[in-house]
Amino acid sequence: MTPEWMDGLKTLCKCRHTFKKTGVTWGLFLSPDTLVDAARRLFQSGFFLEDISALDSANGFVAVYHLSAYSGVDRVALHVIVPHDDPQIPSISAVYSGALWHEREAMDFFGIQFTSHPDPKPLLLPEDMTEHPLIKEDKDRVLLKDLLDPGEIVERDPDFLFFEESNSLTEESKSEGQ
Amino acid sequence: MTEGDEQTLIINMGPQHPSTHGVLRVVLVLDGEYIVSATPVIGYLHRMHEKMAENRTCLQYMPNMGRVDYLNPLGWNWAYVGALERLAGIEVPERAEFIRVITGELNRISSHLVWFGAYILDLGAFTPIMYAFEDREKILDLLQPISGSRLTYSFFRPGGVATDVTDSFLKDTLVFVKYMRDRLPMYRDLVTDNIIFRKRCEGVGVLSLEMCQRYGATGPVIRGSNRPYDIRKAEPYSIYDRFDYQIPVDEKGDAMGRYRVRMAEMAESLNIIEQAVNRIPEGDHIVKKAPKPRWKAPKGEVYFAVEGARGKIGVYLISDGDKHPYRVKLRSPGFSNLSAFGELAKGHLLQDAVSILGSLDLVIPEIDR
Repeated sequence: MTPEWMDGLKTLCKCRHTFKKTGVTWGLFLSPDTLVDAARRLFQSGFFLEDISALDSANGFVAVYHLSAYSGVDRVALHVIVPHDDPQIPSISAVYSGALWHEREAMDFFGIQFTSHPDPKPLLLPEDMTEHPLIKEDKDRVLLKDLLDPGEIVERDPDFLFFEESNSLTEESKSEGQ
Repeated sequence: MTEGDEQTLIINMGPQHPSTHGVLRVVLVLDGEYIVSATPVIGYLHRMHEKMAENRTCLQYMPNMGRVDYLNPLGWNWAYVGALERLAGIEVPERAEFIRVITGELNRISSHLVWFGAYILDLGAFTPIMYAFEDREKILDLLQPISGSRLTYSFFRPGGVATDVTDSFLKDTLVFVKYMRDRLPMYRDLVTDNIIFRKRCEGVGVLSLEMCQRYGATGPVIRGSNRPYDIRKAEPYSIYDRFDYQIPVDEKGDAMGRYRVRMAEMAESLNIIEQAVNRIPEGDHIVKKAPKPRWKAPKGEVYFAVEGARGKIGVYLISDGDKHPYRVKLRSPGFSNLSAFGELAKGHLLQDAVSILGSLDLVIPEIDR
């Protein structure tokens, strides 16, 4: 059973998690253009935005949005994967005003660009700082499938291969190793 | 009248303004005495705790938690060890859970006492902070022998707590509970019923539930707007489901409502402490095979939230199976609560900005991390 707000939402991958194990009930992977739609649906279903964090993996930057319901144990994690060389994600600040600061923080730490953010200036770091402290060096980056446990995959887009044993990126790195 | 109009005046409140408690700057655009816009500027106390997590081991990161929020370190201790325990599937002994509840609630009271004293001080009354600090001192005296520090505790460990509590600690805690119960009515007579104080707070900074949802406000801030959202009940962790206590709410949503919620919460914390002290079992204070400093956390991602003194504290941890966490994200309640300030202060008088800021219970190092 998927919750009502998920009906008709286009996702790359829907994963069900055990709350006791991960603290999350649903993990969704979205393409950047469906993010605002997902945020709007969650807002209308009474979810509030806990935080926006990001992480630097070998597959690109992953922005992670945690949203929680007020009633009972229900936390949704939205993941958006963007490439290192062009990290652009639409801002959800029109839906969740709290995202204004969370997105500026992610810009500071990772250099992710949130398009249509009304005031994209640094929040915590100095305005003249050009470095992004949480970006990892290439050798320290780890593949997503070695970082995240997808849980039970309910639905998956055929092109979404980050959790497959042999995706194109691992093939590449293997052949480099030989 | 809009921003940039010739009739407006820009005032920098902070970063060293006494009512900003730390170094917060608020850029206020005023039309006479009225606030046209208020923009908090943060980052003056930013220390990049999230980066520090990546270059020390999971256990070496513990002391950082006391420094994120120096008034409620045990809340942060709890969120962090809770994340590690959930990730590694560590069971915490019964006695350790009771010790966590007792010390955690004591810490909530001591944090609320500093807020109480400082808030009234912001509004111009000097005496209450002297009383509040006298009471807080008693809590610090209780926690010092068992945790080894008075302010930045790092007392919890994955799998339990650092040291066991003594019988004299439990006895003294009960004495404190009784003492504190007698003090709270005095605070009500001294401050809560004071007409000058009430005029500064009632009807000021009314926060709607819709705004709480948009900004992700939690803790006493959302409970002051009449939604009984408390992580101890909403996402039950530890052994909070075994105690009998209420979640105080206030229907007004103004600064006074948030004040009343925190005052009522102290009494509820005393109830929890009393029940926990009376029911604490014998046993270990930490699991036998507790993680050592070079322990490797298992692979995976985990989110753990607790109810801190200021609201929902969340730790999002990702491990790639190494000694060092791959990524740690700290969700601080004050960050989200403060982000609502700009919208909340609009249209109020300049003097109300102080009473709204104080009612949000800001601890700047926790917001900047």
